Amino acid sequence: MTIFRPLMALLVALLLTACSASNMGQLEVDENGETVTRVYSNNSLLSSRISVPDLKQKKVGDLLYMQATLENDWKFQLDFQYKVKFFDADGFELQPEAQPWRQVVMAGRSQNNIKAIAPNPSAVRFEIWVQE
Amino acid sequence: MRRVLTMIMLGAAVALSGCSTVDYGDAQARETVNTDFGSTDLQMIASKMVDDMLVFPPIVQLTQSRRPVVFVDSIKNKTTEHIDTESITDTIQSKLLNSGKFRFVDMTKVESVREQLDYQSESGLVDPNTAAQMGRQIGAEFMMYGNFSSIVKREGSTKDVYYKFTLKLMNIQTGIIEWANEKEIRKTQKKSLFGM
Repeated sequence: MTIFRPLMALLVALLLTACSASNMGQLEVDENGETVTRVYSNNSLLSSRISVPDLKQKKVGDLLYMQATLENDWKFQLDFQYKVKFFDADGFELQPEAQPWRQVVMAGRSQNNIKAIAPNPSAVRFEIWVQE
Repeated sequence: MRRVLTMIMLGAAVALSGCSTVDYGDAQARETVNTDFGSTDLQMIASKMVDDMLVFPPIVQLTQSRRPVVFVDSIKNKTTEHIDTESITDTIQSKLLNSGKFRFVDMTKVESVREQLDYQSESGLVDPNTAAQMGRQIGAEFMMYGNFSSIVKREGSTKDVYYKFTLKLMNIQTGIIEWANEKEIRKTQKKSLFGM
């Protein structure tokens, strides 16, 4: 019986750590590219630790090009992924399956610039999504 | 003792069957099963190359009023893994094509095209007014090619893999490389006692 208890405890621990789901938060940028609205999703903790102090956009040729400064407001390293979604004037997302999640590792209280270019000239707006 | 053994077997059965479900996942999500080249690496490389090429000022100027024709040569795989590098160039080609900035010729289909042209001009079954003419294809102006290399290091239970993908765009007529860029990826795997 003395062997049985630690063994069961170990099995329970393994079961609990085996399958973990990642949560997602969203940082939304409005159409004029100046105001940043933080939208809480099912991972408000991650969203609350990231802010966007600076945001730029310009046209490169006829393609929309964006740069966002992400700031880790937490004092520890933050390891997360982001995705930039581009939308046309009618609000349709452009090539949603062509935009991968990109990994970023930020030291505590640090800033990192992320950049992305629209997949085609019809993009007028973008959103930055983050997930663990 | 028999009761304990039964409970252990029951626990083991639960542990083994606990997470063996099959489900669809996000194809764009981060994949970190091991340090081998994976879907996330492919997507990161393609995005980085396309993003960089489309904002490079001479390329912006070049594609301002026309869509240059590009031919994709193979990517030399110098890594220790078997990697389908054509899959990487296919993704890059699709993204560039969809951007509306470039057009491509597919050298892997030359024979099929020749057969179809021969059929249209010689079989007598195709209306000559609608048959595609020989010698009307547009020649490629640029060639896209590159290298893919890796450095793998192991120390105890730690494995470190460094990938470097280089892509170049050469003007076929002048031989000048108009654009080139690299994407580096580092992946480290540390095995702990329970393999988590």
